[in-house]
Amino acid sequence: MRRKHRESDESIINITPMLDIVFIMLIFFIVTTSFVKEFAVDMSRPSNEPPKKEKLSDVIFVRIDDIGQIYVRDRLTDIRAVRANIVSGLAQKPDASVVVAAARDADVGILVRVVDQARVAGAEQVSLVALSE
Amino acid sequence: MSRRKHNRVEEESDINITPMLDIVFIMLIFFIVTTSFIKETGIDPQRPTAQTAASKPRGNILIGVDVNGFIWINKRRVEINQVRQLVEDAVNENPESSAIVIADEGSATGVVIQVMDQVQLGGVVDIAVAAEPEST
Repeated sequence: MRRKHRESDESIINITPMLDIVFIMLIFFIVTTSFVKEFAVDMSRPSNEPPKKEKLSDVIFVRIDDIGQIYVRDRLTDIRAVRANIVSGLAQKPDASVVVAAARDADVGILVRVVDQARVAGAEQVSLVALSE
Repeated sequence: MSRRKHNRVEEESDINITPMLDIVFIMLIFFIVTTSFIKETGIDPQRPTAQTAASKPRGNILIGVDVNGFIWINKRRVEINQVRQLVEDAVNENPESSAIVIADEGSATGVVIQVMDQVQLGGVVDIAVAAEPEST
């Protein structure tokens, strides 16, 4: 009888301290978790490796000047026409890459919109260069 | 009489907490796995709109650029030459970091490109610019 009692005593592990710790960890992680809800457009920058030689003719060159005017292949273009121009450029050379060169003072909004339109037009490689005067 | 009472109290006080423990552990594991200690920028600029904007749930380095060209990381204003060091620190904590530059629509392109250069020098290749998704 006595032995049996002892055995039952041993078999019950006191889990209360563990529960305390688990709950404190749970509350800590609930409080510190914050989910990112950002939407973003990927921008690839030319890497620091020596640039591979691309013939200028294989590139659809989009320039944004410092007052926000857009030139697709050196022709002044409205933002709504950028997509159509890139589509026609890609139709001529399907593997051409799009290079967007922006002046330092141009607004980021225009740059993002141009990159966005190039993506919508189906350009696979859109790279970004800074225009140095 | 007294014996019966004791017995009943004993029975009632013995609640089975095993299912609750299961749920608590699953919640704990979920929150441990999803926590990625994001550093808020501290500013909320007017983002440009874009049709190809995609959700970036893994971006954990957030860099804000406001309309005046000031750079904000972790609710502090930083200079351009501090960006690289801060990005390197973040990469040391989490090698699979990706960066999101949250730039105001009206901020200058030069600053944003400089920031992206510094982020890349700090060792992060996956860089995106925050945008508001536009319904087509």
